[in-house]
Amino acid sequence: MALTEHRFEHEYLEDFEDGACIFEEGDTGRDLYIIQAGAVRITKKTPAGEIEMALFQKGDFFGDMALLQSLPRYASAHAHGATRLLILKPAGFLLKIRRDPTFAFEMLQQLSFRVKASNDRMLEVLKRNQLPFHEVQEVLRIIGGGQAP
Amino acid sequence: MITTIRSERLVVISDLHLGNPFSNAKKKVLPFLRWAAQERFDVCINGDGLEIAQASFAKVAFEVPEFFRVLGDFKRAGREVYYVTGNHDIALEHFLEDWGVMKVSPFLNVHSGETRIRIEHGHIYDPFFVKHPALYETLTHFGGYLLKLNPALYKLWISFERFTSRMRARKTGILGEKPEFREAALELSRRGFDAIVLGHTHHPGENTLETGSLYLNSGSWMLTPHFVKIDSGKVTLEEWRAPEKRPFLS
Repeated sequence: MALTEHRFEHEYLEDFEDGACIFEEGDTGRDLYIIQAGAVRITKKTPAGEIEMALFQKGDFFGDMALLQSLPRYASAHAHGATRLLILKPAGFLLKIRRDPTFAFEMLQQLSFRVKASNDRMLEVLKRNQLPFHEVQEVLRIIGGGQAP
Repeated sequence: MITTIRSERLVVISDLHLGNPFSNAKKKVLPFLRWAAQERFDVCINGDGLEIAQASFAKVAFEVPEFFRVLGDFKRAGREVYYVTGNHDIALEHFLEDWGVMKVSPFLNVHSGETRIRIEHGHIYDPFFVKHPALYETLTHFGGYLLKLNPALYKLWISFERFTSRMRARKTGILGEKPEFREAALELSRRGFDAIVLGHTHHPGENTLETGSLYLNSGSWMLTPHFVKIDSGKVTLEEWRAPEKRPFLS
């Protein structure tokens, strides 16, 4: 891992080799990551084994849940190939939005896509009768904002 | 709203200001669009394609329908038309979308080959527009009256901007531009964009950023017919010249 640039205290670039751990599920970091080059695998441990939740590419961001909700890392992140990340500390997030306002737009758009994808997946599961109807309805109501978690 | 697209062949033009008393962009842009369709390029109009702030209604009525007809032909030829809104046409956003010919967006992230390109008009990086929006709008309207009196004042203004840019201590950007535009491009490049294409300033040019990414401005067709060509990930700034007509007997 080679530090490539320190521009501000709250924002810097970092290089990761293929397979290097960026963070582990349960970690308490609050940084937000933007992929400047390479790709990142997001995985989660389940009773059935480790599952890949996403493969983020150049330009994508991740780590937003920990930043926005102050939660421990929900999943693990590992570099997929040589990867360079722009790392934003929590204090740098608003400054980034001020300097690069379309980033906020893209973040909201991504989060909106993810909510829709979750809803669609949930409805798909419901169609296949793999979950009780009332449980699906409850989850959708939470995702849709009907009840604050 | 679509903000991410893939296009292997795309041309970007900006600041046509069709309807503006000074603009004679239509004469050149119609054959350019026909050429682009023939060469199988998609097209992106990167803001201020139409003029609202300094418009002459008679000029709009004369120029815009034909422009839209050619865009319609372009679309029917199987090519895509993208329109990124600028500060002079922001009020037309819904109108343009409802027309059905083009996809309207506040900015575009383009994937071409292995390259990732941001196309954005750039007015939100103009410090005067951001800090004093009401004054900016008033002065823009006032400028419209001056242009009606003497359209050559526009050229004088552009020369003045180039002069002040030469006098500036920091000379790292595109000639004629305020440094804030290059700084914005640098900020965007840190998010993994290999090239950033802005318009708005009417100063065509290109510049390599500290991140290694390329910053380009597609200029304005009110002055010179510059365009940014994206071809399988290669991004270049070019000036359009109509293909020479073949002699009748050759």
